[in-house]
Amino acid sequence: MNIKLPRKLTPGQWAAIAAGTAAALLFAWAVIGGLTRVLNTPAPGAAIDAPITAPSALAGPAVPRIKATLYFAAEDGLRLVPAERDVPLAVGAVAQARSILEAQLSAEPAAPLLSTIPKGATLRGVFISARNEAFVDLDPVIRTAHPGGSHQELMTVYTIVNALLTNVPNLQEVQILIGGQEVDTLAGHVDLRRPLRKNEGLLLPPTSTPTPPSPQ
Amino acid sequence: MTVTHLRWTAVAAVLALSLAVAAQAPPLTVLSREGRKPLPITAINNLDYVAVDDLNSAFGTSAREDRLAGGLTISLRGRSIVLTVEQNVVSVSGRLVNLPSPPVRRDNRWFVPVEFLPRALSLLLDTRLDLRRPARLLVVGDVRVPRVVARVDAGITNVAVTFEVTPPTEARVTAQAGRLVVQFEADVLDLALPSLPPQTFLTGLTAGDTPNTVVLTTGPRYASYRVTTSQADAGSGRLTVDLLPAATTDAPAAPAVAAPDARLVIPSQAPATGLRTVVIDPGHGGEELGTQGAKGTLEKDVTLSVARRLRTLIESRLGAKVFLTREDDRTVSLDDRSAFANNHQADVFLSLHANSAVRPALKGAEVYFLTVERADEEARKRAGDQATTLPALGGGSRDIDLILWETAQARYLEQSAALAGFVEQALADRVEMSPRAVRQAPLRVLVGANMPAALVEIGYLSNAEQETQLASGSYQDQVAQALLDALIKFRGFLEH
Repeated sequence: MNIKLPRKLTPGQWAAIAAGTAAALLFAWAVIGGLTRVLNTPAPGAAIDAPITAPSALAGPAVPRIKATLYFAAEDGLRLVPAERDVPLAVGAVAQARSILEAQLSAEPAAPLLSTIPKGATLRGVFISARNEAFVDLDPVIRTAHPGGSHQELMTVYTIVNALLTNVPNLQEVQILIGGQEVDTLAGHVDLRRPLRKNEGLLLPPTSTPTPPSPQ
Repeated sequence: MTVTHLRWTAVAAVLALSLAVAAQAPPLTVLSREGRKPLPITAINNLDYVAVDDLNSAFGTSAREDRLAGGLTISLRGRSIVLTVEQNVVSVSGRLVNLPSPPVRRDNRWFVPVEFLPRALSLLLDTRLDLRRPARLLVVGDVRVPRVVARVDAGITNVAVTFEVTPPTEARVTAQAGRLVVQFEADVLDLALPSLPPQTFLTGLTAGDTPNTVVLTTGPRYASYRVTTSQADAGSGRLTVDLLPAATTDAPAAPAVAAPDARLVIPSQAPATGLRTVVIDPGHGGEELGTQGAKGTLEKDVTLSVARRLRTLIESRLGAKVFLTREDDRTVSLDDRSAFANNHQADVFLSLHANSAVRPALKGAEVYFLTVERADEEARKRAGDQATTLPALGGGSRDIDLILWETAQARYLEQSAALAGFVEQALADRVEMSPRAVRQAPLRVLVGANMPAALVEIGYLSNAEQETQLASGSYQDQVAQALLDALIKFRGFLEH
């Protein structure tokens, strides 16, 4: 066995090692700091979920409202039916998307329509990418309170997707996130790993659509 | 620590190693054209070693020790291997070969690790030495020793004995008094036999009188047998012997009993068509309860029960192999379910579920196959306006537009659409259907399935009447029978 142990270091060598270590630490600090800033910077063109700047925040009779198309389970339970509702007007696509989703999640439709959204489900945030994809981040309650079944999961997912794509101009697709995370599915069936397009197949044909007046 | 200290530590470690306990271990069985003989194994430091003098008597080599140099030379016909004590590199006619542990000299005997046999000795002998550690076998030369792993699946109406054979090997099944003899075209079998589950078709599964046979001793319920062969996976064949009872009641087609001396070939290439393997996926399980009825019926229990019934039917009536993605109440991820089907090279994947709706009146069974979406316009263009025709309830057909996507399932969409059509038709004959019986949806469990696949929602647990039905054995049997009918039709479609 022939092992060479290091010789004793001179003070000059110690100084060189200390200087080298300090430089390496400084470099690492700069890189990590820079990376953090880059990661926190939105992609060019991406819209950030901003607080609603619309008068909806004031919630009074003077708040301007727009007609939006929300979706509910039809009387047969099998299809989605559009229904017009007044929702607060908001400035910008992101704020308007938030306003529509909040209305859709909390809406209690008049009989015989039913909401497809589990009780207590709330919105955590919305953002819209440069490619006009909306990302809808929902509170995990939507998963824990969901009754399951392929059909009901399709109804819930496409209520959200259709409501956004019908009302917010230029949006192409919607991806649902839960608790800030990308998820496989909501209740074990529908693939949520990618953005979804509007589903016309679930809709009741417009000719036979009963659209009861908004309760407001 | 000084260099001197390090040296002493190393010497102490070497001494400790060489003083470690040696013990006799079960011997290796050496299989050659001349027959089989044992080769003693000694466990040194928990590793399997062979004594060089035993090697010499087994393989006709000779050894000469050079005590001064601490080395040993093993020779045969002018070629030699040079070993050095505590060096795990040996020289075979000048070529260096690594061993996992060094040779050991003790009590005037030399020991080499068992890996020495395939890595070094085979070069000296110029003969292939195949070491199969789990079976403790050493196969010498081109002796045909297929690995045969048997499995016994007990169904209600039959027992299936399946042999996975690596590499694929011809086999012959012969009926003799009170037993079936499976004879493989091999010299010896590297055999793994399971213990038998409780049943009355089979009382024994043992190695036969000759080294290339397996004997199935039949029990009181046995009346006839049927043999099917298939490709298990790359490099393996599968032979299944189904033991059948005296009378099968309402079998749509009486199982063909193999001739007493049927000669079978386990294919080495996958056959082009047919329905040989079915994977059934009982939806949810474990922590994933699925949907739940008002009276507490759980989707995960219903799907498992139907899957078991369907497996029994397929195995006894269709002769195909059936695998369930879960055999009991356990959590299985969606990816693992389709991967399981892919790994078993299933010809069909059926995922079973129970449905739910906010409207309690909604009821009936539904069948889904995959729809795929993509933002990418290029993908859309590539997909074009492809359409397929699927059989419709009451005869005729209807066209469905397909949007293709780069998924495993994409290239099977047409076959999956046909499968969904057959399932819908067969279910409609036996159970109530939903107003929208065949549907396309982006269902996660189907995306990765590399074979025709459909998801069957066998009824609505949110409907009180259907909850009672879904929990009952008779409804579950009806669904299983309908799915079997659909698979028989789909098999005809595939073979057409």
